[in-house]
Amino acid sequence: MKIIVDRQRCDGNGVCMGIAPEVFDVDDDLYLHIAENIPEDPELRARVRQSITSCPILALKLVED
Amino acid sequence: MGEMTNQIVVAGGSLAGHSAVAELIGLVPDADIVWVTGERHRAYSKPALSKEFMQARNEIAELMLPGIECDLDRLRIVSRSCASLDSQAQAVELDDGERVAFDQLLIATGARARMPGILQGVRGVFPLRTLDDAVAIRESLAGKPKVVVIGGGLIGCEIAASMRTLGLEVTLIEQLDSLLDRPFGGAFGSYFLDLHRDNGVKLIMGGKVDRLTVDNGRVAGVELADGSRIGAQLVVVGAGSEPCTQWLDGSGLDVENGVVCDAYLATSRRGIFAAGDVARWTNPVYGIQMRVEHWTNASAQGRAAARNMAAAFSDRQELLKPFADVPYFWSDQYGQKIQMVGWHQGHDHVDLDRSGDAPGPLARFYRDGRLVAAAGINVPRIVMKLRRQIEEEARTLQAA
Repeated sequence: MKIIVDRQRCDGNGVCMGIAPEVFDVDDDLYLHIAENIPEDPELRARVRQSITSCPILALKLVED
Repeated sequence: MGEMTNQIVVAGGSLAGHSAVAELIGLVPDADIVWVTGERHRAYSKPALSKEFMQARNEIAELMLPGIECDLDRLRIVSRSCASLDSQAQAVELDDGERVAFDQLLIATGARARMPGILQGVRGVFPLRTLDDAVAIRESLAGKPKVVVIGGGLIGCEIAASMRTLGLEVTLIEQLDSLLDRPFGGAFGSYFLDLHRDNGVKLIMGGKVDRLTVDNGRVAGVELADGSRIGAQLVVVGAGSEPCTQWLDGSGLDVENGVVCDAYLATSRRGIFAAGDVARWTNPVYGIQMRVEHWTNASAQGRAAARNMAAAFSDRQELLKPFADVPYFWSDQYGQKIQMVGWHQGHDHVDLDRSGDAPGPLARFYRDGRLVAAAGINVPRIVMKLRRQIEEEARTLQAA
């Protein structure tokens, strides 16, 4: 599972971080950091998918393994 | 099952309806879904309308939420509005007279912009709620109009910021003496005033709009109760919104500033649920009823209602879950990220932190010694940490 962020679009609104803070981290410069390796945990992966569909500016894309 | 196929109606074509339909498709493969979408557009992202879209930093195609992938035999999308609900007979009547029967109904008809009577029916005066509103405002920017924004809430302040970012002359009129008072619970009052003044907005605080001046059916200015007049070719009104519940009159549902729901988003009538801006539910995090008009709430609540509907529908009790959520919203103004988590209404104490490690101001709201909300400017990590703290404290309280 890999997540791609469109840097042109991402405004650091933090919706993704609210849903899956283990994977998404917006720093104080509003730059989004995304964890490289996402554990196989199905509950976490469900939240990651939810973060992606919840992005209000549709800046996130998922590439499944 | 075997006999008749069950039918679920989702009323409302915006985010809450969209996320509910997407979830239901996967959860109840043996049901037919009728999605009554109302607006002529596909579901789209509203937070961008006053910000990126208004500043022409993105276009309509980029606002559209992904289409829902599903077998079209199972999902019927109807671009009509709901006219009435017969909760006894379990049917929704559409505005073209069609009756759609349901076994379960999700009410997600959202909210509409409030438009005071004195501001209606004049060209060049717009609310901002829908994509059509945003397109109309954007189209009127070509002639570099002088802009008056009425209302210093979230929409008003974001519009003022976007218009200044575009280099337009902006006057903002607010009845109160502070900006963003309701959304941010009075925190950062002087910060917001300075932010807009420093960016060139002419602020009229404590101003009361008396009437519009009109020239040939087009707005020419705004007159205040003190007799002063401000010239304007464009007026944007941010006067709040009201839940779209008129179609529920006479339905027997419990409606009071929104559709009243329990913690499971179930209404007073069996088989009928509500989600999004229209729903007033009992949030277990706070133990009180609230209606939240923000993106993350609509998205999460649509999904949660869908799961609880599926639980009732297919007897899968493991899906049934109360909707316990710490609300979250944000605003962007002049590149500043302003965030709010929790429910500050009814707080009895605020801690303002302007020094410390935080690069921006931070406010913590307490009620009876318990952290209930937090707001910050350009401090997303701290704000999100406080959101989790509110959640955890609520869980501990419930367990106790």
